[in-house]
Amino acid sequence: MLKKLLQKNLECLWEEEKLIKIVKRDQPSRAIFFLTPVLAIFLTLFAGGLIFYILGFKPFEALKFFFIVPIADMYGFSELLLKATPLCLIAIGLSFCFKSNNWNIGAEGQLTFGAIVSGGVALLFYNQEGFYILPIVIMAGAIGGMLYASIPAILKTYFNTNEILVSLMLVYVSKLILDYLVVGPWSNPEGFNFPETRQFSDSARLPILFEGLRIHAGIFLALAAVVASWFIFYKTYLGFQMKVSGFSLKTAKYAGYKGKKMIILVFLISGACAGLAGVGEITGPIGQLHREVSPDYGFTAIIVAFLGRLHPVGIIFASLIVAITYLGAETAQIFMQIPKYTGQVFQGMILFFLLASDYLLFFKIKFTGLKK
Amino acid sequence: MNTNLKISNIIKIYPGCIANDNVSLEFESGKIYALLGENGAGKSTLVKILSGVIIPDQGKIFLNKNILKLNSPLDAKKNDIGMVFQHFNLFETLSVFENLIIDSDETKENLREKIELIMKKYNFLINLDVPVLNLSAGQKQKVEIIRCLIRNPKVLIMDEPTSVLTEQETSELFLSLKKFSEEGILIIYITHKLKEVIRLCDEVAVMRKGKLVSVSEIKNENIESLANKMVGQNLKTIKKKKAKTSTDQLIKITNLNFISEDPFETNLNNINFSVNRGECLGIAGISGNGQSELFQILSGEIISNKNSIEFNKNYIGDLNPQERREYLMAFSPEDRLEQAAIPQMKIFENVALNNFKSSNFFKNGLINENKIKEHAKKIISDFNVNTDNIELKSQFLSGGNLQKLIIGRELITSPDLLICFNPTWGLDVGAINYIHETLIKINEQDKSIILISTDTDELLKLSDKISVIHKGKLSKIMNAEEVTSEKLGVLMGGGEID
Repeated sequence: MLKKLLQKNLECLWEEEKLIKIVKRDQPSRAIFFLTPVLAIFLTLFAGGLIFYILGFKPFEALKFFFIVPIADMYGFSELLLKATPLCLIAIGLSFCFKSNNWNIGAEGQLTFGAIVSGGVALLFYNQEGFYILPIVIMAGAIGGMLYASIPAILKTYFNTNEILVSLMLVYVSKLILDYLVVGPWSNPEGFNFPETRQFSDSARLPILFEGLRIHAGIFLALAAVVASWFIFYKTYLGFQMKVSGFSLKTAKYAGYKGKKMIILVFLISGACAGLAGVGEITGPIGQLHREVSPDYGFTAIIVAFLGRLHPVGIIFASLIVAITYLGAETAQIFMQIPKYTGQVFQGMILFFLLASDYLLFFKIKFTGLKK
Repeated sequence: MNTNLKISNIIKIYPGCIANDNVSLEFESGKIYALLGENGAGKSTLVKILSGVIIPDQGKIFLNKNILKLNSPLDAKKNDIGMVFQHFNLFETLSVFENLIIDSDETKENLREKIELIMKKYNFLINLDVPVLNLSAGQKQKVEIIRCLIRNPKVLIMDEPTSVLTEQETSELFLSLKKFSEEGILIIYITHKLKEVIRLCDEVAVMRKGKLVSVSEIKNENIESLANKMVGQNLKTIKKKKAKTSTDQLIKITNLNFISEDPFETNLNNINFSVNRGECLGIAGISGNGQSELFQILSGEIISNKNSIEFNKNYIGDLNPQERREYLMAFSPEDRLEQAAIPQMKIFENVALNNFKSSNFFKNGLINENKIKEHAKKIISDFNVNTDNIELKSQFLSGGNLQKLIIGRELITSPDLLICFNPTWGLDVGAINYIHETLIKINEQDKSIILISTDTDELLKLSDKISVIHKGKLSKIMNAEEVTSEKLGVLMGGGEID
């Protein structure tokens, strides 16, 4: 039957003398589902090379500076892991939201607020030492992120607001709160009016893993999140309910799930992950609060989550790839005098090409010969 | 003024199905033509081609011997082809008049005069200045018809126009259609209701699986012959055995009220009824009169007063659906694709949506996949779902198979009461028969059913007792033998019977 149909389709095609025909797939292809991210990366490299060429650089050399030089040595590789850690952690959290059709795009705000709360707690202990301080600081960060994420969640469930707008706008609110705190009440009394707080005590810092490198214990938090999320998604009743609620709240209600609670729960998980990423930044490489706790990790993690197909393992790879764009941008700035914002251009292109190649999930391109 | 509409060799192919397979037809004005077929037979595709919504892969359309190129609905309008769709395309908050002038370039004064003339001529009684949302379904349809008539159409296509109308409104519609026909408008009437074809039309074209099966005059046909052509097999007629009269009360609803905050929902007003074991209570009504709210209250999606629902001597009004299932209730909602099942999930995952305690689908918070799959296989074989692959996403099941899966999922726990809402909506005759047989069978096993349906024939066939819901109020409960579809029609329209 199907064969006959295809034949008919082809016959129509002959008549129209088209060389290329786009045909809808009967079923989204599983292989393509995981191949499109790879395709998107290659397209990004190609387009990036083209842009470098137009700007007057040798494309291959430029791409080398961007993607290979930064991670060629041990230090570079550890920096890669350092940048990938928050991306991975946030993206895992976001995948809970995105999988259940909740569009939390305010992870940057949840990260910032988590950093504010944990930073505040760390500052309370600034002149104390003790093993108990770090766990409290970490908890505080997670709770801060959760609190901040609960705002769009509660507004969505009880007042039908759009979580995209609310979560996005709260990002700027949290950044302004941080700004106010580091300039005003929390600024370092001995800091010559620099917009930053005191340094945290060593007991409030995540341990460094290797002497001389900046990579810290936060990476274990990220890996734990990966394993936990995989287990929750695919093996638990909670994961099943999340999936159902994601597809249809009406069905969730009919099955007797507590649909609203589910929305709030995924936002809380996502907020906790973003908050933890914030903790990782300020108690890891930074060691204090200042204006720039995150180079937009919360936004970039959205790209990571989708590039990784919302799959825990995919997200690990995606976070590594996207982390390179951060490093590459810095290298390119140093060696080639290209502004470091090129990194964001690459992140944008990845997302752009990923969304574009998703078209192939639902359609296939058929090449046919010329008639006569 | 004679109109001749001819379509020749129309082919339209969608991925996975041939919607129109070489269809050729000829229509002449002065007659009413029926285009008959089951859901999915290709009627709608053909009509959409005639109204310019879809462009055929092949084939030509001629109006009065001139070839027609219909690339958009606008082209159809320009060529005097009017179309009234099954679902109304009206702006609810605008007035009737505003809706009518929205796509016209004539001045308001001219149009008002013209519209009033049309209404007078055909005896349509509609206040032009009230918002459309205050109109009944029948009146809304008249607005749609007037919108076509303004343009003096040569061809008027009606797509399943009676699905939302009462018996009385249907009669009025038929009178108007006959009048239009006498005035030289060519009328094409699309339906799957056989009785209407016999009652209204002069000629009938039957479609099945994309192909034109027959074209004949009504006087040579009867309901059975048309049904057989439409389905392509001799229909078994199923008849319900007279139920044993049981006095064992299973569920009792007392003083149930529901006031919604949503203006598009219907409030329920003092609902009282009870159902005995082995009995089927049918609840008739035109859609939008509170059925959906009633279903949700009975299923527990909307929580009500604890004492308002007594089931098997327990008060359960405040329990959610999952908790109610533990008391052996089961629910089959109206919306298969957005509520009763999730098309993007696999068949066995959909089975797990009915999670009752003894199922052991989820143990200690973990998914017990083997148990679910085992259960799914049993449902598929017990309820004749036409697939053997429980890993298949349920979007690839036809409507009928999906409904069998849902009904199967609900019934496999052998519940005492099944509450179903339009269980055969949009299904083909084969699947409808299967569902009806299943429902009769569970009644015979002394289980009860509450059947909320907008299909009067279905209600008369399956129910022991029937009540009608109108504007959130339930009529008195009648014995099914005393009820006729005419009586139901009066009640459904808000009228009174002695």
